[in-house]
Amino acid sequence: MLEVLHSLLFSTLDAAPALVFAALGAVLSERAGVVDVGVEGMMRAGAFCAAVAALAMPTPLAVVVGMGAGAGMAAIHGWLCIRWRSDQVVSGMALNLVALAGGTFLLESLFGPNGTPPITQLSRWDIPGLASVPVLGALSGHAAPTYLALLVPFVFQGLLTRTPLGLRLRAVGDKPHAVATLGLSVPALRWGAVVGGGLLAGLGGAVLSTAVLDRFEQHTPAGLGFMALAAMVFGRWTPVGAFLAALFFAFGNALRIGLASSAPHLMDLVPQGVLLALPYLMTLVLLGLQGQRSSAPAALGVPFEQESR
Amino acid sequence: MGERARQALPSVLSVLLALVLCWIAIAMTRDVDTATRAYLQMFWGGVGNWPAFLDGGPVSALTRPLGEAAMKAALLTLTGLSVAVAFKVGLFNIGAQGQMILGALAAAVVGAQLNVPAVLHIPAALAAAALAGGTWSGIAAALRIRRGVHEVISTIMLNWVAVSLVDNWLVIGPLKAVAQGQQSSITGTAEILSSAQLPRLLGDLSRLNLGFPLALAAAVGVDLWLKRLRVGFETRAVGLGPEAARTAGVPVAWRTGQAMVLAGAMAGLAGAVLVLGTEGRYPGTLGAPYGFDGIAIALIGNNNPLGLTVAALVFGVLRAGGTRMQLLGVHKSFPELIQGLALLFVAGRLIWLAVLRRRTRPSVAPAAPVVEVPRA
Repeated sequence: MLEVLHSLLFSTLDAAPALVFAALGAVLSERAGVVDVGVEGMMRAGAFCAAVAALAMPTPLAVVVGMGAGAGMAAIHGWLCIRWRSDQVVSGMALNLVALAGGTFLLESLFGPNGTPPITQLSRWDIPGLASVPVLGALSGHAAPTYLALLVPFVFQGLLTRTPLGLRLRAVGDKPHAVATLGLSVPALRWGAVVGGGLLAGLGGAVLSTAVLDRFEQHTPAGLGFMALAAMVFGRWTPVGAFLAALFFAFGNALRIGLASSAPHLMDLVPQGVLLALPYLMTLVLLGLQGQRSSAPAALGVPFEQESR
Repeated sequence: MGERARQALPSVLSVLLALVLCWIAIAMTRDVDTATRAYLQMFWGGVGNWPAFLDGGPVSALTRPLGEAAMKAALLTLTGLSVAVAFKVGLFNIGAQGQMILGALAAAVVGAQLNVPAVLHIPAALAAAALAGGTWSGIAAALRIRRGVHEVISTIMLNWVAVSLVDNWLVIGPLKAVAQGQQSSITGTAEILSSAQLPRLLGDLSRLNLGFPLALAAAVGVDLWLKRLRVGFETRAVGLGPEAARTAGVPVAWRTGQAMVLAGAMAGLAGAVLVLGTEGRYPGTLGAPYGFDGIAIALIGNNNPLGLTVAALVFGVLRAGGTRMQLLGVHKSFPELIQGLALLFVAGRLIWLAVLRRRTRPSVAPAAPVVEVPRA
């Protein structure tokens, strides 16, 4: 029993970081009032660029390149939405479509039908002494992003709730005109949040192709970006909430995969598809029960115009 | 320049810019010659191989590609209409994909199980698909009206619920086709009966079927509904300003729900056209994200039913021709890249307007209308 729990926890912690970082990126962007449905595309760009960069440089550096790619996509989003007040959902969906088709195109034309060659994965860290402890030992033996993913949400939460910068970020998503009245730049704050969100989403994508897999897989991230949005909503737009929701979804996923391989007859009772649908169904039910207005940033999706009221 | 032309100009320029950039993309990753030949393949693959025909080739050299283009255009028109109808009432329907999946499944089930003459069978399958799609979008509408849940989030969630439940459960489980004889490895649901197949309009010359005129009729119908009927006018009023509409006595919640269900029905019909027209069954997966394409088509077409039909025809041609590009080692999803980039450029509509205004300053009226997009 303990061993089962151990392996479940281990695979959860292995798979969760991508989801956690993407969800945090979405939280950052949306708390500043910019809708982030393009997170899937940013992840894909990050995953692709990290996998390609890792062919030429050490993998940790490649992860940074992946983050940069995510930030680049986010910068397009920011330029359209902040500078030109475009519709944020349209711009985000456009990024998704471009990343989806563009990734496939580049993969095929640069590497042929076989995809990118395998790369060196991020090295895994063994925590001395911990590996032999039952259950808790699952914490040992992961790549660096896992430990980062356990730390960043709390730092982010502290930043958001306890610092002047955090207050400004929240204010710019709730009442941008109040921020402008204080003489602060709404566009600058939103730019920071959008690009920061892109960095996090790119990191999430890069983790997929450098730690979870060892290549860019053609369908990466296969809807993980949208699941990150679900985690964000489920976590009520707070970093720690989104983190816990992402962990929960990742755990559910690990449980599903574990059950499918170890107890196939159970799968006849509860089909895979139903389990796959659960995170989204739960998000829908939660939204239906509590309504959305209570937790979403007030000015979410509204382009800022100085002259409007 | 007429008002209508000025409205369409940003879209036209966006598509052209996307075409040019994508040509450069092939030219840079491969070479100029390949890029040009790939584009020619795409073009002839969509509008018919005229050189071959004029050299004495068979008529099917023209009709086959044109038929493929028309069928792609029919799907794009219907999903585009789905997105556009929701836009008109002020909602952003990201969920056309999920609604289309449900519609396709309903059409496949009714098409395979019901045993009635074609005169009844086809309408029944189409109605079932529209109903299924409308129900799926109705969930998002109800959440929006009753609980204030933003439709962007709820339709994204509903998409994934649909994919999970249909593709990963029903189609591989309870509804999986029973293998008969030698066909042991078929994927998807049972094949529809011949009475449910949409009749082909040109016989063996192409796969063009009733789905294409159906999509065109739907576009005209939605256009008339929006422009000529009181309900349509009220729907647009809600989209432009719900408070003003409420004050004027428009039942805002009712119109919102109606429009969203109609949007789902359109996407459901797209699923039916795919299943009853070309696939013959619900395949393992829908194959392409037609529902997301609908967003691009609707916005490139300026959310106008007729404008988006033109956009769907253009991209239908490109998409049909895209499969031919594979001969030159360019992935068949390449036209989707063109489409995505075009959407990105259309999203920057204000940039186009600013650029165009600078050029034609004296003649442009102040404050060109911005594309009607609900602010999320």
